[in-house]
Amino acid sequence: MLTIENLHAGYDKTEVLHGISIDVPKGKVVTLIGSNGAGKTTTMRAVSGMIRPRSGRVTLGGKEITGQDSFRIARAGLAHSPEGRRVFPTLSVADNIRLGAFPRYTRSRKRGDIDADLDKAMEMFPRLIERRDQLAGTLSGGEQQMLAIARALMLNPEVVLLDEPSMGLAPILVEEVFNIIRRLKGEGITMLLVEQFAAAALDVADYGYVLENGRIAVHGSADKLKNDPAVRAAYLGGSH
Amino acid sequence: MEILIQLIFSGIALGMIYAVIAFGYQLTFATSATLNFGQGEALMLGALVGLSFAGNVLGGPYLNFWMMIPLVMVFGALQGALVEFIGVRPAIKIKSEFGWIMSTIALAIIFKNVAENIWGKDDLKFPSPVSEAPLHFLGANVLPMEIIIVVGALAMMLAVEIFNRKSIYGKAVVATSNDRDAAGLMGINTRLVITFSYALSSMTAAFAGVLIAPVTLTGATMGSVLGLKAFAVAIIGGLTSGIGVIVGGLILGIAETTTGFYISTGYKDVPGLVLLLLVLAVKPAGLFGKTAIKKV
Repeated sequence: MLTIENLHAGYDKTEVLHGISIDVPKGKVVTLIGSNGAGKTTTMRAVSGMIRPRSGRVTLGGKEITGQDSFRIARAGLAHSPEGRRVFPTLSVADNIRLGAFPRYTRSRKRGDIDADLDKAMEMFPRLIERRDQLAGTLSGGEQQMLAIARALMLNPEVVLLDEPSMGLAPILVEEVFNIIRRLKGEGITMLLVEQFAAAALDVADYGYVLENGRIAVHGSADKLKNDPAVRAAYLGGSH
Repeated sequence: MEILIQLIFSGIALGMIYAVIAFGYQLTFATSATLNFGQGEALMLGALVGLSFAGNVLGGPYLNFWMMIPLVMVFGALQGALVEFIGVRPAIKIKSEFGWIMSTIALAIIFKNVAENIWGKDDLKFPSPVSEAPLHFLGANVLPMEIIIVVGALAMMLAVEIFNRKSIYGKAVVATSNDRDAAGLMGINTRLVITFSYALSSMTAAFAGVLIAPVTLTGATMGSVLGLKAFAVAIIGGLTSGIGVIVGGLILGIAETTTGFYISTGYKDVPGLVLLLLVLAVKPAGLFGKTAIKKV
């Protein structure tokens, strides 16, 4: 569904990604793990158009999206719940969720039943129901994370990128976020997940890629990575 | 006392014009953190284009005042979009922090020169669409046009607010103001939103131009001072507060008319600028400006 081939990207004069390739098959969950500064978020940003890749190729459902503006990539069906959540603080929870469906309102994506999807998102994240008309800026970090995921799903996307959905959350909320990811996987949603909780990410994922200094060090099925001694030592040791 | 009421009434009408132009500054500042320093010239062009339709300067009148307003607003929107496209977009693209300042000022000067060549350097009389006989209210005289100014300015700001709050496109504008990158991820074409905010901003100014033209003189130089004072109002009220520009506009408008009468017309521009300096020293975000809530 989403393929990344030999992607190079960075900021100003620094290149962060030195040619990485990742394949996210339809209906599967792929996780990208690695230490801080390895280039996980840069990968997500280069795929969704927040930054322009220097070279390489990104295709979504067979169509090339490399280097396009982020709004075009979103309209093509790629939803990105970015690092740091980035909800719209001065808009209500409901309006934040609705904006996730913006291309459907403007019919640059198939419209479908937006209100029904809004209700479904609310039902999936019950914490948001009572906050529906509250400004997103007043939510707790955990609630903002739920909101960011709900908003991304409103696109009816082909692929969802989730960047560090557990960042800064209390342990109980981290578990809740992973339960939601598991539930989305059950619904057949294709996901690329960046996580620092490598063990939990590999538990939910089908495939994993380990990113080290801007290059893919190891990749394979989640089970294979979980049993790989080098991966265990570097990423699974103290994290769970 | 009656004189004071009279001065307050005149100040309110003037203040609402400042408010509506200042509101225009806010519109572009919200989406792109840039300002169109040619807001005054957008107002001037609106007034002169309106005069050309509804007055007798270029062989007219072709339309009456009310029919002319929508055309002037369309003209204003196109003019604003042009300013954004030529002057602001390139600066945003290269992430130049100050490029847009020079380019919007340069375009303002060009517009003023063009206007001088088309409509001449002399001030022209704009025919009033309503009776010029004042109404008596609380012992003071109020021109019917002044009431139209206040109502029109409020209606314009209210319409934009309703659009922002109720329509999905307006929400996309607010989202772009909140976080441009995240808005892009929602499939919102944020470059188009910025162009739109410039169009809306100049449309507002052009509308203000035809509102104020019948009670003042119309000409190529009418916009510069108005644009500058409205900028002071935007700073006094806060670049992020809708209510701030109304309060700021009224404070400045009334301060000017009362100073003009009680002290000297020569000093009427002073209180507003003193207020501007005070606000910048004491509360730089403006009287009503607030720091955004940001959770990390």
